[in-house]
Amino acid sequence: MSLAVEEREMAVVGSGPAGMCAALAAVRAGADVVVLDENERAGGQLTKQIHRFFGSRRHGAGKRGFEIAAELERECRGEGVELRLSSTVLGFFPGGELMVEGEDGVYVLRARAVVMATGASEKSLAFPGWTLPGVMGAGAAQTLVNLHGVLPGRRVLMVGTGNVGLIVSYQLLQAGAEVVGILDISDRVGGYEVHYRRVRREGVPFYLRHRVVEARGEEGVEEVLVEEVGRGRGRVLRADAICLAVGLSPLAELAAMRGCRMVYSRELGGFLPWHDGEMRTDRPGTYVAGDAAGVEEASVAMEEGRMAGISAVEDLGRMRGEEAERARSEVRRFLLELRGGPYGEGKLRAKECLYCA
Amino acid sequence: MRVNECESMQGAGGDPWSSAWERAARGPVAVVDCREEIPCNPCEEACARGAIKVGEDICASPRFDPGLCDGCGRCVTLCPGMAVFLLDRSHGKGVARVTVPYEMGGELLEGGEAWAMDEDGNALGTAEIVKVKRTGGRTGTLLVTVEVPEGWALKVRGVRDRLISLEAPEETDAEQRERDYHLCRCEEINVSDVRGQAGWFNSLRALRRYSRAGLGYCQGRFCQDLLRRELAQTLHAGEGEVGAFKVRPPVRPVKLGRLGGEDA
Ligand SMILES: Cc1cc2nc3c(=O)[nH]c(=O)nc-3n(C[C@H](O)[C@H](O)[C@H](O)COP(=O)(O)OP(=O)(O)OC[C@H]3O[C@@H](n4cnc5c(N)ncnc54)[C@H](O)[C@@H]3O)c2cc1C
Ligand code: SF4
Ligand code: SF4
Repeated sequence: MSLAVEEREMAVVGSGPAGMCAALAAVRAGADVVVLDENERAGGQLTKQIHRFFGSRRHGAGKRGFEIAAELERECRGEGVELRLSSTVLGFFPGGELMVEGEDGVYVLRARAVVMATGASEKSLAFPGWTLPGVMGAGAAQTLVNLHGVLPGRRVLMVGTGNVGLIVSYQLLQAGAEVVGILDISDRVGGYEVHYRRVRREGVPFYLRHRVVEARGEEGVEEVLVEEVGRGRGRVLRADAICLAVGLSPLAELAAMRGCRMVYSRELGGFLPWHDGEMRTDRPGTYVAGDAAGVEEASVAMEEGRMAGISAVEDLGRMRGEEAERARSEVRRFLLELRGGPYGEGKLRAKECLYCA
Repeated sequence: MRVNECESMQGAGGDPWSSAWERAARGPVAVVDCREEIPCNPCEEACARGAIKVGEDICASPRFDPGLCDGCGRCVTLCPGMAVFLLDRSHGKGVARVTVPYEMGGELLEGGEAWAMDEDGNALGTAEIVKVKRTGGRTGTLLVTVEVPEGWALKVRGVRDRLISLEAPEETDAEQRERDYHLCRCEEINVSDVRGQAGWFNSLRALRRYSRAGLGYCQGRFCQDLLRRELAQTLHAGEGEVGAFKVRPPVRPVKLGRLGGEDA
């Protein structure tokens, strides 16, 4: 089997905020960059987000996710980044070649620098009945509602009180669904208080210290038995959909296949490629950024993307060491700011732990 | 560490509603009800008058100077946490006007009525809608101003076009029939299989090799996470210790013909 081979200077896998910012940083230093993404639209997670982003104004916060994506895309196109959409990277080989499935078939792309900005995948949760139609990830529900205008159900139970669970609950309400409850095994809400309160004021009941015992139904979910942990008392909620927002883990399969050293971090969402503070993995010419390097936020993803782009062009010989260092120290400062506060602290510690591991 | 730059700035502590009370007698003023330290600052840039400050440390909670605020409402629109409101007590005795951001898409018209909701989603009652301001675009936030009895002024946090009843159902005994369930759908491996055989395997890779869990069509994309958690729990080990599946190409399902280099 022989596949067509294309040679490029730099390739970025994933067109989310991390990928596009990596590409922008590199193209500005004169590199030839192609961004590959499996979707028809550029922007990654951002394309699904109709809410105004929290985060820093510098990174577009206050605007809606899809607007931030459109802006980054315009910038990329303007600066001469090639955005190659509907292109799935199937493999990343120890020699550094990418196997890509594009619109006209499968080919090999060989690049001297590869940034993996593949984002994260949703974690799942199993209980009796979880395989019934109507049980889905919150991200999948969001795609249905925000991109296709379809409700996942009329009465939805949300599992998980992190920001994703809270934000998607709000969007389900906006789309006209009833959210019959938001449940969490923890005794406190995981997400930001402002997000909790805007859902709460719509009258949605919160079931903290609760777990799903089972989902029941014939052809799909009809009701859900939930239980207060340790009390043996429960409630039967009438719901035709259950959305799971129980966390994200870095999408790191490509890194593993490339032979990158993998490390596990609970705080950052699971297994991820080891990397240093400049977003280099332990394989030459191989970088990682954004949620793929540890699940955080869009603003952080953008800065990590920039960092990866800078390191890549430095290694490609397109940027002098001091100049790269100057640019990186700015990024470092922003990252430190973004990881301040009680929510960022754990991430910061986990990252620092990683850098020196 | 945070130091208030200016004496008149309210720190993160006090109740922003009652502290806006006096100033609201002279006209609309913002109430910035955001106390947590989160990395967020659109409110700061929204305010052209410099009444809201987050500062260098983006995780600081916003500080607000009612003396600089003219009640323009831009911050109400732009706050992604929908945590800023306007309070106005200049429209006569016994009443107050509260402006809230609204994104629910219901029919709210000036001169009509809306339900005024408190923090916990309880309806305080109905209130007259005195103003609806559209803030641009299809996805624009509405700024809805309602006139309410003064006694509600500090309680209103939202409006609704209609009430929905979301009462929690009665508690019952959580009668639990232990039911088995799949962890790996493709290969039909149950939770009981993993628990029963866990003694033989100490890693996810071994589990996959012997039980075929994770070898189906999804290539472990859906089940790996579930299998790992279950195995780790059964073995009283960390999730990191039981490891991950070895990844083989393709990382996404692909038609075999296409891998041969043919067009689909
Ligand atoms: C519901 C929700 C709300 C959020 N709200 C906020 C918010 O308000 N503020 C904020 O800062 N953050 C928010 N986030 C987080 C933010 O969206 C992410 O942190 C950010 O998008 C991560 O960026 P990324 O570039 O790393 O990955 P992504 O945006 O996930 O992009 C990765 C891209 O890579 C593609 N890809 C992956 N694998 C392959 C492959 N093998 N081949 C080709 N393409 C591939 C994916 O399809 C995707 O398009 C939210 C997230 C969710 C789920
Ligand atoms: S209402 Fe206007 S003046 Fe007052 S804080 Fe908000 S943006 Fe500033
Ligand atoms: S924009 Fe809203 S949520 Fe963000 S800091 Fe300001 S008040 Fe808080």
